[in-house]
Amino acid sequence: MTIAAAFAPFVGLAVADSGLPECDLMAAPQTIDELEQILDLASEHQLKAVIWGGGTHQGIGGRIDPDLVIATSQLNRLIDWQPEDFTVTVEAGMRVSDLEEMLADRGQMAVLPELPGAATIGGVMAAGISGWRRARYGPTRDRVLEVDLVTGDGRRVRAGGRVVKNVTGFDLPRLAVGSYGSLGVIAQACLKLWPEPSTKVTVSVADGDRALATAYRPTAVVEADGVAKVYLGGTEAEVDGQVESLDGTVVPGWFWTPAPTGAVGWSLRVPPALIRSAIERLPSGWRYQAGLGVGEIKAASVDADGAAELRAWAESRGGALVIVSGPVGLYSDMDPWGTPPPGLDIQRELIRRFDPCRVVNPGRLPGGI
Amino acid sequence: MWPRSYRAGLPNTRSSLDEESACLCIPEARAWHEPDRLMTLIGDLREILGPDRVLSEPLERYLYGTDGGMARGEVIVVVLPETAGEVSDVVKAAKRHASPIVARGAGTGLAGGAAPAVPSVVVSLTNMKTIEIDLGNRTAWVGPGVINLDLSKLTRSSGFHFAPDPSSQSACTIGGNVANNSGGPHCLAEGTTTSHVLAVEIVTADGEVVLLGGPAPDPIGLDLRSVVVGSEGLLGIITRTLVKLTPNPLDVRTILAGFATMEDAVATSSGIVARGVVPAALEIMDQKMTRAVENFVGAGFPIDAAAILLAEVAGHPAAVEAEARLVEQVANENHVTSLRVAADEVERAKLWLGRKSAFGAVAQLAPDYYLHDTVVPRTQLVATMQKIYEIAERHGVLMLNVFHAGDGNLHPLVAFDASVEGQLDIVHAAMEEVARVCIEAGGALSGEHGIGLEKRDLMPLLYSEADLDAQARLREAFDPDGLFNPQKVLPAGSRCADLGRPIPAGAWL
Repeated sequence: MTIAAAFAPFVGLAVADSGLPECDLMAAPQTIDELEQILDLASEHQLKAVIWGGGTHQGIGGRIDPDLVIATSQLNRLIDWQPEDFTVTVEAGMRVSDLEEMLADRGQMAVLPELPGAATIGGVMAAGISGWRRARYGPTRDRVLEVDLVTGDGRRVRAGGRVVKNVTGFDLPRLAVGSYGSLGVIAQACLKLWPEPSTKVTVSVADGDRALATAYRPTAVVEADGVAKVYLGGTEAEVDGQVESLDGTVVPGWFWTPAPTGAVGWSLRVPPALIRSAIERLPSGWRYQAGLGVGEIKAASVDADGAAELRAWAESRGGALVIVSGPVGLYSDMDPWGTPPPGLDIQRELIRRFDPCRVVNPGRLPGGI
Repeated sequence: MWPRSYRAGLPNTRSSLDEESACLCIPEARAWHEPDRLMTLIGDLREILGPDRVLSEPLERYLYGTDGGMARGEVIVVVLPETAGEVSDVVKAAKRHASPIVARGAGTGLAGGAAPAVPSVVVSLTNMKTIEIDLGNRTAWVGPGVINLDLSKLTRSSGFHFAPDPSSQSACTIGGNVANNSGGPHCLAEGTTTSHVLAVEIVTADGEVVLLGGPAPDPIGLDLRSVVVGSEGLLGIITRTLVKLTPNPLDVRTILAGFATMEDAVATSSGIVARGVVPAALEIMDQKMTRAVENFVGAGFPIDAAAILLAEVAGHPAAVEAEARLVEQVANENHVTSLRVAADEVERAKLWLGRKSAFGAVAQLAPDYYLHDTVVPRTQLVATMQKIYEIAERHGVLMLNVFHAGDGNLHPLVAFDASVEGQLDIVHAAMEEVARVCIEAGGALSGEHGIGLEKRDLMPLLYSEADLDAQARLREAFDPDGLFNPQKVLPAGSRCADLGRPIPAGAWL
């Protein structure tokens, strides 16, 4: 049987979605069982596969010329929502925006990225992307209670559980966050939810650093091109009290600003105390959005001039400068991640055991693994 | 008096250990009666650490053979390193001598995580107590031997604390907290230890010192830090941790509510959470426990109540006010029989002393106790508690309950006398049933104490063959020879050779 014939049963309508890369083989599993079969076949034929959720974070990491694209758009079911337990279990292809909208009906939130676009739960997890509200609620990894992975060789593996506190076995759910599918495709996940605060406001202030020092545990403080917004949530009295001390322009509700866009997109990560210094070091012409108190800066530029110096400085302080999007040529001129982290041998050994034929996103992670 | 664990003997799991030793990855692990072999190992270790930090006397080895749980194992020799370099040298020496290694902190764990399953070199990290505080980044680098409460005491005047607060926080070490992903009452709002760990430095099974994670958000590459947290000493030896410091609440209110039934207490706790309030802590105790505690420390608990709820709200003063009102309102809806708000810090401290002394208080009732730790979804608490009481009654055991109701984390405790023949078996049988009931309710085997030896053989109740195989693969990637804390967490035979594909010849790497 030809490879194309073997994959024929899994070629779904969803692959006609916009934005998918050109590829001979496109599969859209409708069930996790089908995803297992697809990865088993891919391993048998030693294919290189890219996993496609919403396509919003495909610019991060090493470039891949895939033999196979697996779209998760059909794996988008709600499996289990327990509002009184504050947990929800969904398939990985569900869009973040659909999930948050559904949860908002019952005053709950998964606290994933605020402007997710087409991003899916699985994509946000696999890429380890957090929203600005991490300042108060912690990063995405703190949301994941249980995960179902389909390993590179097509075995379904579950770890964690649908309870908010659990130390039964190794913490594979957290390890899956930011793994880019290298241990397995995230097929389903149970997330911890938070109650939506009854009062939410956005306060524009001139001095973000002062606001961060003044406000008591704000939801987020985000500075973009010199103007800071303080996001507060809680009871009315609590929020009102905080607003008074901030001296800014108040708007009810949380209003998030899209990250700057440009020919090249960047994620600069530094220890939180160095964020001002990091902003000052951005090469001229770079636009930015900075999470004060968090240490992450989303930036955009027309080219990579000055990026090498900035990366060297960030790495010397324990941080990183990561390419988030850019022209193909940039990825060969400049490592998309920078200096690989320590413990690369262990990472390799792990991946070997979960994806022995190295099917899913080979070479995507730092160090080209 | 002998320690409790000696009297109580070994857990059920012990019987299976001897059979398994035959297939240990380190074949000579049991041949320590050969004096030459032992003396060369001790000689090598003394060369690294000097004579004073290598303990080989029988009493010393005996003392390090157990933790707060019931298992006792055999210790070859105890070492007390003070730097990561020394830990690395010890690991290399032990590996050269084909000796397994068990790392430990204060030994307050309850699941046998620090009790060697096979004769092992025990690495006690309690001498590694450095603390470097970085208030600008709200973090601290801490050695694994730093006592949990000491860090919070040290940072209190600056307005910060280390949020995980297990009951043993005045004795347990942060290294142990990290290895077990410890919880505590206040992790309801703040998350367990893993949410507070930014980086760990470990010594690997090769003796290499590796830093995983860092001070900046989202370290690049696989997040090995996250999986080392809670790995119970199986993946590496923690030599340093970068932890987050949490701002102290501006205001705090602690409310003590009494109820005529356990159902009312649980309904109040669940009702508070369901209304979208995440209090700092929500703890429940049953009447047997409150009476034991009252006798022991006089915390001021109402002993006529069938159950009490200790609720704490903390944060911004306005929020505290509103949340305290809601706690009272939900308690009233659920037929609260008595309600008291701690008037001052002294009274508040007394209430928490009562909660945290619960396990100690049990000593008045019987010489031994078995403390369980399971989790259920919060909506299953009432039904599960009912089943747990039925199990205790059916087995005729004296059971007391104190638990983290806010996150569904149960701690049924059986007080008994292990010197009465057959008692321990009855206790084990009852507790295994409790585990089964919790898993049937959609729960997990452990919320914060860990799996260790105690629950290792119950893992298949929760996970499939493929799930356990994945866990074993993970372990193997870090420690292919099974040098660190062998035979813990994963039951024998977890790694299935016939699952999955072999690595093809000529593949990458």
